[in-house]
Amino acid sequence: MTVEPAPTPAGSTTRLGAPPRPASAKPAAGSDDEARARRTAQEQWVRLRHLERQLHDGAALRISALALRLGMLRHRMPPDEQQFQAAVEAIQDELHLVLQELRDVAGMLYPPLLDEAGLGPALREAAARCSRSVRIDAGTERFGPAAEGAAYFAVLGCLAAEPHEGPDDPVEVVVRGESGDNGDGRTLVLLVLGVDPCHASTVHDGVRLLGGTAVTGETGLITVRIPCE
Amino acid sequence: MRVALAEDGALFREGLLMLLKAAGHEVVACAAGGDELVALLRAQPVDVAILDIRMPPEPDGGLVTAERLRALHPELGLLFLSHYAESHYLMRILQIGTDSIGYRLKEKVGSVDVLTDTLTRIADGEIVIEPMLAKRLVERPRNERKSLVSALSEREIDVLRLMAEGRSNTGIAGQLFVTPKAVEKHIANIFGKLGLHADASEQHRRVLAVLTYLRSQRDSETSDR
Repeated sequence: MTVEPAPTPAGSTTRLGAPPRPASAKPAAGSDDEARARRTAQEQWVRLRHLERQLHDGAALRISALALRLGMLRHRMPPDEQQFQAAVEAIQDELHLVLQELRDVAGMLYPPLLDEAGLGPALREAAARCSRSVRIDAGTERFGPAAEGAAYFAVLGCLAAEPHEGPDDPVEVVVRGESGDNGDGRTLVLLVLGVDPCHASTVHDGVRLLGGTAVTGETGLITVRIPCE
Repeated sequence: MRVALAEDGALFREGLLMLLKAAGHEVVACAAGGDELVALLRAQPVDVAILDIRMPPEPDGGLVTAERLRALHPELGLLFLSHYAESHYLMRILQIGTDSIGYRLKEKVGSVDVLTDTLTRIADGEIVIEPMLAKRLVERPRNERKSLVSALSEREIDVLRLMAEGRSNTGIAGQLFVTPKAVEKHIANIFGKLGLHADASEQHRRVLAVLTYLRSQRDSETSDR
Protein backbone atom coordinates (compact mmCIF):
# COMPACT_ATOMS: atom_id res chain seq x y z
CA MET A 1 0.00 0.00 0.00
CA THR A 2 1.28 3.41 -0.81
CA VAL A 3 1.46 5.92 1.96
CA GLU A 4 0.32 9.33 0.93
CA PRO A 5 1.59 12.49 2.53
CA ALA A 6 -0.76 13.95 5.06
CA PRO A 7 -3.19 16.41 3.58
CA THR A 8 -2.26 19.87 4.68
CA PRO A 9 -5.43 21.86 5.06
CA ALA A 10 -4.22 25.41 5.27
CA GLY A 11 -0.90 24.67 6.88
CA SER A 12 -2.12 22.26 9.50
CA THR A 13 1.28 21.82 11.14
CA THR A 14 1.40 25.33 12.50
CA ARG A 15 -2.25 25.20 13.37
CA LEU A 16 -1.74 22.01 15.29
CA GLY A 17 0.84 23.66 17.50
CA ALA A 18 -1.38 26.55 18.43
CA PRO A 19 -4.71 26.66 16.65
CA PRO A 20 -5.61 30.26 16.04
CA ARG A 21 -8.88 31.57 17.35
CA PRO A 22 -9.81 34.52 15.20
CA ALA A 23 -11.96 36.93 17.14
CA SER A 24 -14.72 36.71 14.56
CA ALA A 25 -14.87 32.95 14.88
CA LYS A 26 -15.35 32.69 18.63
CA PRO A 27 -18.59 31.05 19.62
CA ALA A 28 -21.06 33.84 20.12
CA ALA A 29 -21.59 34.87 23.73
CA GLY A 30 -24.76 35.57 25.68
CA SER A 31 -28.27 34.63 24.69
CA ASP A 32 -27.31 33.26 21.28
CA ASP A 33 -25.02 30.85 23.03
CA GLU A 34 -27.76 29.72 25.40
CA ALA A 35 -30.33 29.35 22.67
CA ARG A 36 -27.96 27.22 20.66
CA ALA A 37 -27.04 25.08 23.66
CA ARG A 38 -30.75 24.55 24.27
CA ARG A 39 -31.27 23.52 20.66
CA THR A 40 -28.40 21.06 20.89
CA ALA A 41 -29.81 19.55 24.08
CA GLN A 42 -33.22 19.27 22.42
CA GLU A 43 -31.67 17.58 19.41
CA GLN A 44 -30.07 15.00 21.71
CA TRP A 45 -33.47 14.03 23.09
CA VAL A 46 -35.02 13.94 19.63
CA ARG A 47 -32.19 11.64 18.57
CA LEU A 48 -32.82 9.29 21.49
CA ARG A 49 -36.53 9.20 20.72
CA HIS A 50 -35.73 8.46 17.09
CA LEU A 51 -33.52 5.53 18.12
CA GLU A 52 -36.24 4.14 20.39
CA ARG A 53 -38.73 4.36 17.54
CA GLN A 54 -36.33 2.65 15.21
CA LEU A 55 -36.01 -0.25 17.66
CA HIS A 56 -39.75 -0.41 18.14
CA ASP A 57 -40.80 -0.12 14.50
CA GLY A 58 -37.92 -2.22 13.22
CA ALA A 59 -36.31 -5.06 15.15
CA ALA A 60 -39.03 -5.43 17.83
CA LEU A 61 -41.80 -5.60 15.25
CA ARG A 62 -39.95 -8.09 13.10
CA ILE A 63 -39.25 -10.35 16.08
CA SER A 64 -42.91 -10.23 17.14
CA ALA A 65 -43.92 -11.22 13.62
CA LEU A 66 -41.36 -14.03 13.67
CA ALA A 67 -42.87 -15.41 16.89
CA LEU A 68 -46.21 -15.59 15.08
CA ARG A 69 -44.70 -17.28 12.04
CA LEU A 70 -43.02 -19.89 14.23
CA GLY A 71 -46.34 -20.43 15.97
CA MET A 72 -48.00 -21.00 12.59
CA LEU A 73 -45.30 -23.44 11.58
CA ARG A 74 -45.85 -25.41 14.77
CA HIS A 75 -49.59 -25.38 14.30
CA ARG A 76 -49.59 -26.33 10.66
CA MET A 77 -46.52 -28.18 9.50
CA PRO A 78 -46.12 -27.68 5.71
CA PRO A 79 -47.17 -30.87 3.90
CA ASP A 80 -44.02 -31.26 1.88
CA GLU A 81 -40.32 -30.94 2.65
CA GLN A 82 -39.74 -28.19 0.08
CA GLN A 83 -42.32 -25.88 1.64
CA PHE A 84 -40.89 -26.54 5.07
CA GLN A 85 -37.40 -25.66 3.84
CA ALA A 86 -38.71 -22.47 2.27
CA ALA A 87 -40.49 -21.48 5.49
CA VAL A 88 -37.34 -21.95 7.57
CA GLU A 89 -35.24 -20.07 5.03
CA ALA A 90 -37.67 -17.17 5.09
CA ILE A 91 -37.41 -17.04 8.89
CA GLN A 92 -33.60 -17.04 8.72
CA ASP A 93 -33.66 -14.24 6.15
CA GLU A 94 -35.92 -12.26 8.42
CA LEU A 95 -33.54 -12.81 11.34
CA HIS A 96 -30.73 -11.42 9.21
CA LEU A 97 -32.80 -8.28 8.62
CA VAL A 98 -33.48 -7.99 12.36
CA LEU A 99 -29.76 -8.18 13.06
CA GLN A 100 -29.03 -5.61 10.35
CA GLU A 101 -31.47 -3.21 11.97
CA LEU A 102 -29.94 -3.81 15.39
CA ARG A 103 -26.49 -3.16 13.88
CA ASP A 104 -27.75 0.13 12.44
CA VAL A 105 -29.05 1.24 15.83
CA ALA A 106 -25.87 0.06 17.60
CA GLY A 107 -23.82 2.04 15.08
CA MET A 108 -25.79 5.18 15.93
CA LEU A 109 -25.24 4.67 19.67
CA TYR A 110 -21.53 3.84 19.50
CA PRO A 111 -19.96 2.17 16.46
CA PRO A 112 -18.34 -1.14 17.46
CA LEU A 113 -15.43 -0.47 15.13
CA LEU A 114 -14.72 2.81 16.94
CA ASP A 115 -14.52 0.92 20.22
CA GLU A 116 -12.36 -1.87 18.83
CA ALA A 117 -10.10 -0.13 16.36
CA GLY A 118 -10.30 3.61 17.04
CA LEU A 119 -11.10 6.77 15.09
CA GLY A 120 -9.10 6.00 11.93
CA PRO A 121 -10.81 2.73 10.94
CA ALA A 122 -14.25 3.90 12.16
CA LEU A 123 -14.10 7.17 10.22
CA ARG A 124 -12.81 5.39 7.11
CA GLU A 125 -15.72 2.97 7.25
CA ALA A 126 -18.13 5.91 7.68
CA ALA A 127 -16.42 7.75 4.83
CA ALA A 128 -16.92 4.74 2.58
CA ARG A 129 -20.66 4.94 3.23
CA CYS A 130 -20.80 8.67 2.55
CA SER A 131 -21.92 9.94 -0.84
CA ARG A 132 -19.25 12.64 -0.72
CA SER A 133 -15.58 11.97 -1.17
CA VAL A 134 -13.90 12.09 2.24
CA ARG A 135 -10.20 11.73 3.04
CA ILE A 136 -9.32 10.58 6.52
CA ASP A 137 -5.83 11.16 7.91
CA ALA A 138 -5.65 9.44 11.29
CA GLY A 139 -3.06 7.36 13.07
CA THR A 140 -3.53 4.45 15.41
CA GLU A 141 -3.44 6.56 18.58
CA ARG A 142 -6.33 6.04 21.01
CA PHE A 143 -8.03 8.81 23.01
CA GLY A 144 -10.57 7.08 25.27
CA PRO A 145 -14.25 6.36 24.58
CA ALA A 146 -15.59 9.86 25.38
CA ALA A 147 -13.26 11.92 23.21
CA GLU A 148 -13.35 9.37 20.39
CA GLY A 149 -17.15 9.18 20.49
CA ALA A 150 -17.48 12.98 20.48
CA ALA A 151 -15.00 13.36 17.61
CA TYR A 152 -16.63 10.59 15.57
CA PHE A 153 -20.14 12.00 15.85
CA ALA A 154 -18.82 15.52 15.23
CA VAL A 155 -17.47 14.39 11.85
CA LEU A 156 -20.64 12.45 11.07
CA GLY A 157 -22.74 15.50 11.91
CA CYS A 158 -20.72 17.63 9.50
CA LEU A 159 -21.03 15.06 6.72
CA ALA A 160 -24.72 14.28 7.21
CA ALA A 161 -25.82 17.90 7.07
CA GLU A 162 -23.79 18.59 3.97
CA PRO A 163 -25.76 18.93 0.75
CA HIS A 164 -23.72 17.40 -2.03
CA GLU A 165 -23.79 19.66 -5.03
CA GLY A 166 -21.43 20.90 -7.68
CA PRO A 167 -17.86 19.67 -8.00
CA ASP A 168 -17.15 17.01 -5.45
CA ASP A 169 -14.21 18.53 -3.59
CA PRO A 170 -13.12 15.99 -1.02
CA VAL A 171 -13.73 16.67 2.64
CA GLU A 172 -10.46 16.45 4.55
CA VAL A 173 -10.43 15.12 8.10
CA VAL A 174 -7.27 15.03 10.20
CA VAL A 175 -7.00 13.46 13.66
CA ARG A 176 -3.98 14.13 15.88
CA GLY A 177 -3.04 13.75 19.53
CA GLU A 178 -1.32 16.59 21.31
CA SER A 179 0.45 16.45 24.66
CA GLY A 180 0.02 19.23 27.21
CA ASP A 181 2.84 21.72 27.75
CA ASN A 182 3.79 20.28 31.12
CA GLY A 183 2.97 16.74 30.10
CA ASP A 184 -0.34 17.10 31.92
CA GLY A 185 -3.26 15.78 29.93
CA ARG A 186 -3.61 15.13 26.22
CA THR A 187 -5.82 16.75 23.67
CA LEU A 188 -7.48 15.18 20.68
CA VAL A 189 -7.22 17.65 17.80
CA LEU A 190 -9.63 17.19 14.93
CA LEU A 191 -9.46 19.25 11.74
CA VAL A 192 -12.29 19.26 9.23
CA LEU A 193 -11.98 21.09 5.94
CA GLY A 194 -14.47 21.23 3.11
CA VAL A 195 -17.74 21.33 5.02
CA ASP A 196 -19.91 24.33 5.84
CA PRO A 197 -18.04 26.28 8.58
CA CYS A 198 -21.37 26.89 10.35
CA HIS A 199 -21.13 23.32 11.69
CA ALA A 200 -18.47 24.55 14.11
CA SER A 201 -21.07 25.86 16.54
CA THR A 202 -23.00 22.57 16.63
CA VAL A 203 -19.76 20.68 17.06
CA HIS A 204 -18.74 23.10 19.80
CA ASP A 205 -21.93 22.36 21.72
CA GLY A 206 -21.35 18.65 21.25
CA VAL A 207 -17.86 18.73 22.79
CA ARG A 208 -18.35 21.54 25.33
CA LEU A 209 -19.30 19.29 28.24
CA LEU A 210 -16.04 17.41 27.75
CA GLY A 211 -14.16 20.70 28.05
CA GLY A 212 -13.71 20.83 24.29
CA THR A 213 -13.94 23.66 21.78
CA ALA A 214 -14.63 24.03 18.07
CA VAL A 215 -13.66 27.12 16.10
CA THR A 216 -13.60 28.13 12.45
CA GLY A 217 -10.56 29.61 10.76
CA GLU A 218 -10.54 31.99 7.80
CA THR A 219 -10.23 29.19 5.26
CA GLY A 220 -13.29 27.44 6.64
CA LEU A 221 -11.15 24.98 8.53
CA ILE A 222 -12.96 23.70 11.61
CA THR A 223 -10.56 23.00 14.47
CA VAL A 224 -11.93 20.86 17.28
CA ARG A 225 -9.96 20.33 20.49
CA ILE A 226 -11.11 17.78 23.04
CA PRO A 227 -9.21 17.04 26.26
CA CYS A 228 -8.83 13.27 26.63
CA GLU A 229 -7.51 10.45 28.78
CA MET B 1 -14.26 -32.57 7.50
CA ARG B 2 -12.16 -32.06 10.62
CA VAL B 3 -12.86 -28.66 12.14
CA ALA B 4 -12.01 -26.69 15.27
CA LEU B 5 -14.04 -23.89 16.80
CA ALA B 6 -13.27 -20.95 19.07
CA GLU B 7 -16.05 -18.59 20.15
CA ASP B 8 -16.54 -16.89 23.51
CA GLY B 9 -20.31 -16.65 23.35
CA ALA B 10 -21.49 -19.96 24.86
CA LEU B 11 -24.92 -19.89 23.22
CA PHE B 12 -23.62 -19.35 19.71
CA ARG B 13 -20.75 -21.80 20.27
CA GLU B 14 -23.10 -24.59 21.34
CA GLY B 15 -25.44 -23.83 18.45
CA LEU B 16 -22.66 -23.92 15.91
CA LEU B 17 -21.28 -27.11 17.46
CA MET B 18 -24.65 -28.80 17.00
CA LEU B 19 -24.95 -27.57 13.43
CA LEU B 20 -21.43 -28.74 12.57
CA LYS B 21 -22.15 -32.19 13.96
CA ALA B 22 -25.50 -32.33 12.18
CA ALA B 23 -23.66 -31.49 8.95
CA GLY B 24 -21.46 -34.54 9.55
CA HIS B 25 -18.26 -32.71 10.44
CA GLU B 26 -15.87 -33.90 13.10
CA VAL B 27 -15.32 -31.18 15.69
CA VAL B 28 -11.83 -31.93 16.94
CA ALA B 29 -11.51 -28.99 19.31
CA CYS B 30 -13.92 -26.47 20.77
CA ALA B 31 -12.82 -23.55 22.94
CA ALA B 32 -14.03 -20.25 24.41
CA GLY B 33 -10.87 -18.36 23.48
CA GLY B 34 -7.90 -18.24 21.14
CA ASP B 35 -5.15 -19.28 23.53
CA GLU B 36 -7.08 -22.38 24.52
CA LEU B 37 -7.62 -23.34 20.87
CA VAL B 38 -3.95 -22.88 19.97
CA ALA B 39 -3.03 -25.21 22.86
CA LEU B 40 -5.58 -27.81 21.70
CA LEU B 41 -4.38 -27.70 18.09
CA ARG B 42 -0.66 -27.69 18.84
CA ALA B 43 -0.33 -31.41 18.23
CA GLN B 44 -3.21 -32.13 15.87
CA PRO B 45 -4.05 -30.40 12.61
CA VAL B 46 -7.58 -29.80 11.34
CA ASP B 47 -8.92 -28.88 7.91
CA VAL B 48 -10.54 -25.61 8.94
CA ALA B 49 -10.50 -23.57 12.16
CA ILE B 50 -13.59 -21.45 12.77
CA LEU B 51 -12.78 -18.29 14.72
CA ASP B 52 -14.87 -15.54 16.22
CA ILE B 53 -13.04 -12.26 15.49
CA ARG B 54 -13.98 -10.54 18.74
CA MET B 55 -12.97 -12.97 21.50
CA PRO B 56 -10.14 -13.38 24.02
CA PRO B 57 -7.33 -12.51 23.83
CA GLU B 58 -9.07 -9.12 23.51
CA PRO B 59 -9.81 -7.08 21.53
CA ASP B 60 -9.70 -9.13 18.32
CA GLY B 61 -8.40 -12.50 19.47
CA GLY B 62 -9.60 -14.25 16.34
CA LEU B 63 -7.02 -12.47 14.18
CA VAL B 64 -4.11 -13.04 16.57
CA THR B 65 -5.13 -16.67 17.00
CA ALA B 66 -5.30 -17.15 13.24
CA GLU B 67 -1.73 -15.92 12.83
CA ARG B 68 -0.51 -18.30 15.52
CA LEU B 69 -2.45 -21.23 14.07
CA ARG B 70 -1.13 -20.56 10.56
CA ALA B 71 2.42 -20.49 11.97
CA LEU B 72 1.80 -23.93 13.49
CA HIS B 73 -0.07 -25.38 10.51
CA PRO B 74 0.48 -23.39 7.28
CA GLU B 75 -2.10 -25.45 5.36
CA LEU B 76 -4.88 -24.81 7.86
CA GLY B 77 -8.07 -23.27 6.49
CA LEU B 78 -9.49 -20.30 8.41
CA LEU B 79 -13.10 -19.19 8.69
CA PHE B 80 -13.67 -15.93 10.55
CA LEU B 81 -17.13 -15.28 11.90
CA SER B 82 -18.26 -11.90 13.09
CA HIS B 83 -21.32 -9.97 14.07
CA TYR B 84 -20.17 -7.24 11.67
CA ALA B 85 -19.04 -7.31 8.05
CA GLU B 86 -16.46 -4.53 7.89
CA SER B 87 -13.84 -3.85 5.22
CA HIS B 88 -11.42 -2.95 8.02
CA TYR B 89 -11.43 -6.57 9.19
CA LEU B 90 -11.42 -7.94 5.65
CA MET B 91 -8.16 -6.11 4.96
CA ARG B 92 -6.63 -7.45 8.16
CA ILE B 93 -7.80 -10.96 7.29
CA LEU B 94 -6.32 -10.75 3.80
CA GLN B 95 -3.04 -9.69 5.37
CA ILE B 96 -3.00 -13.03 7.21
CA GLY B 97 -3.43 -14.86 3.94
CA THR B 98 -5.23 -15.01 0.63
CA ASP B 99 -5.60 -18.79 0.43
CA SER B 100 -8.07 -21.00 2.26
CA ILE B 101 -9.60 -18.15 4.16
CA GLY B 102 -13.12 -16.89 4.75
CA TYR B 103 -15.03 -14.09 6.47
CA ARG B 104 -18.74 -14.42 7.08
CA LEU B 105 -21.51 -13.00 9.22
CA LYS B 106 -22.52 -15.26 12.10
CA GLU B 107 -26.16 -15.48 11.14
CA LYS B 108 -25.33 -16.32 7.53
CA VAL B 109 -23.85 -19.74 8.27
CA GLY B 110 -27.07 -20.89 9.90
CA SER B 111 -27.82 -23.82 7.62
CA VAL B 112 -26.08 -27.11 6.98
CA ASP B 113 -25.85 -26.31 3.26
CA VAL B 114 -24.30 -22.87 3.60
CA LEU B 115 -21.98 -23.94 6.41
CA THR B 116 -20.70 -26.96 4.50
CA ASP B 117 -20.37 -25.02 1.25
CA THR B 118 -18.34 -22.31 3.04
CA LEU B 119 -16.08 -24.86 4.76
CA THR B 120 -15.57 -26.90 1.60
CA ARG B 121 -14.60 -23.87 -0.46
CA ILE B 122 -12.11 -22.78 2.21
CA ALA B 123 -10.65 -26.28 2.47
CA ASP B 124 -10.29 -26.24 -1.34
CA GLY B 125 -8.12 -23.14 -1.10
CA GLU B 126 -10.67 -20.46 -2.01
CA ILE B 127 -11.33 -17.08 -0.42
CA VAL B 128 -14.91 -16.81 0.80
CA ILE B 129 -16.15 -13.31 1.54
CA GLU B 130 -19.58 -12.43 2.88
CA PRO B 131 -21.50 -11.52 -0.30
CA MET B 132 -22.97 -8.41 1.29
CA LEU B 133 -19.48 -7.07 2.04
CA ALA B 134 -18.08 -7.99 -1.37
CA LYS B 135 -21.01 -6.17 -2.96
CA ARG B 136 -20.51 -3.08 -0.84
CA LEU B 137 -16.80 -2.95 -1.63
CA VAL B 138 -17.18 -3.28 -5.35
CA GLU B 139 -20.22 -1.08 -5.77
CA ARG B 140 -18.77 1.90 -3.97
CA PRO B 141 -15.58 2.77 -5.71
CA ARG B 142 -14.24 5.82 -3.96
CA ASN B 143 -11.15 6.59 -5.86
CA GLU B 144 -10.40 10.21 -6.54
CA ARG B 145 -7.48 9.33 -8.76
CA LYS B 146 -9.52 7.64 -11.46
CA SER B 147 -8.35 4.21 -10.47
CA LEU B 148 -7.65 1.27 -12.66
CA VAL B 149 -10.98 -0.09 -11.61
CA SER B 150 -12.90 2.83 -13.09
CA ALA B 151 -11.69 1.60 -16.48
CA LEU B 152 -13.94 -1.44 -16.07
CA SER B 153 -17.36 -1.63 -17.68
CA GLU B 154 -20.47 -2.15 -15.58
CA ARG B 155 -20.61 -5.79 -16.57
CA GLU B 156 -16.98 -6.29 -15.68
CA ILE B 157 -17.65 -4.71 -12.27
CA ASP B 158 -20.47 -7.25 -11.79
CA VAL B 159 -18.06 -10.04 -12.61
CA LEU B 160 -15.40 -8.60 -10.28
CA ARG B 161 -17.93 -8.34 -7.47
CA LEU B 162 -18.80 -12.03 -7.88
CA MET B 163 -15.10 -12.87 -8.04
CA ALA B 164 -14.69 -10.96 -4.78
CA GLU B 165 -17.27 -13.33 -3.30
CA GLY B 166 -14.94 -16.13 -4.35
CA ARG B 167 -17.25 -17.60 -7.01
CA SER B 168 -16.11 -19.83 -9.84
CA ASN B 169 -16.69 -18.98 -13.51
CA THR B 170 -19.65 -21.33 -13.64
CA GLY B 171 -21.00 -19.73 -10.47
CA ILE B 172 -20.62 -16.25 -11.95
CA ALA B 173 -22.23 -17.37 -15.22
CA GLY B 174 -25.20 -18.73 -13.25
CA GLN B 175 -25.60 -15.50 -11.30
CA LEU B 176 -25.43 -13.26 -14.35
CA PHE B 177 -27.40 -15.56 -16.67
CA VAL B 178 -24.63 -15.70 -19.25
CA THR B 179 -22.47 -18.53 -20.56
CA PRO B 180 -19.23 -19.49 -18.80
CA LYS B 181 -17.52 -18.57 -22.07
CA ALA B 182 -18.78 -14.99 -21.76
CA VAL B 183 -17.56 -14.86 -18.17
CA GLU B 184 -14.11 -16.00 -19.28
CA LYS B 185 -14.04 -13.17 -21.77
CA HIS B 186 -15.02 -10.60 -19.14
CA ILE B 187 -12.37 -11.93 -16.77
CA ALA B 188 -9.72 -11.78 -19.48
CA ASN B 189 -10.70 -8.12 -20.03
CA ILE B 190 -10.51 -7.42 -16.30
CA PHE B 191 -7.05 -9.02 -16.09
CA GLY B 192 -5.96 -6.95 -19.08
CA LYS B 193 -7.29 -3.66 -17.72
CA LEU B 194 -5.80 -4.27 -14.29
CA GLY B 195 -2.47 -5.19 -15.84
CA LEU B 196 -2.35 -8.73 -14.46
CA HIS B 197 -0.09 -10.82 -16.61
CA ALA B 198 -0.76 -14.26 -17.94
CA ASP B 199 2.26 -15.88 -16.31
CA ALA B 200 0.52 -16.19 -12.94
CA SER B 201 -1.94 -19.01 -12.32
CA GLU B 202 -5.62 -18.36 -12.94
CA GLN B 203 -6.60 -18.64 -9.26
CA HIS B 204 -3.75 -16.36 -8.28
CA ARG B 205 -4.75 -13.73 -10.82
CA ARG B 206 -8.35 -13.83 -9.65
CA VAL B 207 -7.26 -13.04 -6.12
CA LEU B 208 -4.92 -10.32 -7.37
CA ALA B 209 -7.75 -8.75 -9.34
CA VAL B 210 -9.87 -8.53 -6.22
CA LEU B 211 -6.98 -7.26 -4.12
CA THR B 212 -6.04 -4.68 -6.73
CA TYR B 213 -9.54 -3.41 -6.51
CA LEU B 214 -9.63 -3.35 -2.71
CA ARG B 215 -6.22 -1.71 -2.46
CA SER B 216 -6.92 0.95 -5.03
CA GLN B 217 -9.95 1.82 -3.00
CA ARG B 218 -8.17 1.90 0.31
CA ASP B 219 -5.17 3.88 -0.88
CA SER B 220 -7.39 6.57 -2.16
CA GLU B 221 -9.13 6.95 1.15
CA THR B 222 -6.31 7.34 3.52
CA SER B 223 -2.73 7.60 4.42
CA ASP B 224 -2.02 5.12 7.15
CA ARG B 225 0.62 6.07 9.58
